[in-house]
Amino acid sequence: MSLLKESTHEQQSKLAEYCKTGIVPELTGILEENLHHYRRLVFNIGIDTIETAYPITYRFLPDEIWDKLVYEFYAEHKCQTPQVWRMPLEFYEYCVEKDIQGKMNLPFLNDLLYFEWLELEVHTMDDIPYPSFDTEGDLLNNLLAINPEHKLVKFTYPVHILAATELEGKAGNYFLLMYREKESGKVQCMDVSILYAYILEQIQNGLTLQAVLTDADSLFQINNFEMLKEHAINFINDLKQRQFILGFLNK
Amino acid sequence: MQLKDNKHIGIGFRKDFSEELLDSTVLKPAFIELAPENWIGMGGYWKKQLDKAAEKFPITCHGLSLSIGSPDDLDLDFLYKIKKFIKQYNVQIYSEHLSYAKCDNAHLYDLLPIPFRKDAVKHIIARIKQVQDILEMPLAIENVSYYTPVAAEMDEATFISEIVDGSGCNMLLDVNNVYVNSFNHNYNAKEFITKLPLNKVSYIHMAGHEQISDTVIIDTHGEAVIEKVFELFEYTTSLLKPVPVLLERDFNIPELEELQTELTRMETIVSKTWKKEHVIA
Repeated sequence: MSLLKESTHEQQSKLAEYCKTGIVPELTGILEENLHHYRRLVFNIGIDTIETAYPITYRFLPDEIWDKLVYEFYAEHKCQTPQVWRMPLEFYEYCVEKDIQGKMNLPFLNDLLYFEWLELEVHTMDDIPYPSFDTEGDLLNNLLAINPEHKLVKFTYPVHILAATELEGKAGNYFLLMYREKESGKVQCMDVSILYAYILEQIQNGLTLQAVLTDADSLFQINNFEMLKEHAINFINDLKQRQFILGFLNK
Repeated sequence: MQLKDNKHIGIGFRKDFSEELLDSTVLKPAFIELAPENWIGMGGYWKKQLDKAAEKFPITCHGLSLSIGSPDDLDLDFLYKIKKFIKQYNVQIYSEHLSYAKCDNAHLYDLLPIPFRKDAVKHIIARIKQVQDILEMPLAIENVSYYTPVAAEMDEATFISEIVDGSGCNMLLDVNNVYVNSFNHNYNAKEFITKLPLNKVSYIHMAGHEQISDTVIIDTHGEAVIEKVFELFEYTTSLLKPVPVLLERDFNIPELEELQTELTRMETIVSKTWKKEHVIA
């Protein structure tokens, strides 16, 4: 239960609202000439955090459009996270909810923002315990151990491949594997085909490569298991070299 | 807090110079301070850096988002995360700002001035007690810099004193903030300090600031500490028992030699003032 009087709460609310919107309120006993410092300081923290998280979108959008978007976000949205570095996720969610890409006629905007957020998220996300694994095993019939610190996502636009200025008219199915290297903590990105995305997803779900390929051969109507196997093994070996596939799950 | 070799001066651990600090033979703080908000739930490269830092230095925590003066309820989920972090890194001092950073369910990520009012005092005392009960340790509350009062019914020193007395919390005395406020609100900084609950001061902050006009200083943490703040620091420490002292430097990070020069100067001051019998107001 709050011990604050309504009048005190009201003064606090008015100052906070002013910092969000810039609309000057009626406040009691203030130094009017200094009030704007609060709006400036609050807004600068917000805008710096968002611009740092979304450098590609920031550079791509014209200044006046970007400024208006950030201004509206700050005025309309109630930031929920106490951790300011997580706040850009709320900016992305706000843009999706308000259909900013529709209003701006930029159908790739959600994908672009999400790609930029994802890079930050994968870089900073909490450590996930690595599975116990052996380095020797049967690639086809043993369960594969994968780096758990990764995201496999589908985009409608190839935001991870092309510059923002080249995305128009490129709608399709694009898959991105993004993972964090264990030792360096660096984030690596890899464009993968829908077939390989399926294979990775099923391995992640606990199937052997042999089982996945058997399913994939019919699902994708390849009807050439040996060729599929050869390509898939090359792909898996590449991921082993990149240390995304760690080895063979030790059960 | 146990400090090595009778050294008292620490530095804010910032990502901008964390790597340099961890490898440095130049900058030798007695401890480091960090904002738990900036590290909780963070893995990968930064978690490794934090763990390395924790092996090398004692850690204090200085929170940003607890929003002790907010009209909103305390965020208990977040508070329990802080508690876990404090235990994990053996944090001996946890401090927060006597301000609010969240209102009407919206975080603002900056420090807004609380109305200096009796009902706000009662409200904050109850919240500090709740925080201390959950954390099972005292909270140290920092006097913040402010650019305008809002709906004040008492003076700042009375406001702070009543909260510290009523809650049993400790005080983080930010000497630079006293200087900034004395300039912006035209009062005597030394007189102000004598009105504070000095027997409850458990921690000191020092920082630089930026004077942006004839009448306004902004507390930026982006400049070197100025001479007048060093003078006020010397005066302040002469009234206190020995406590850890922190240099805050968040922006315009200079060469580490420059930071060490500031640390050395503060250490020289306290080695003089804290060698004598201390006057506790």
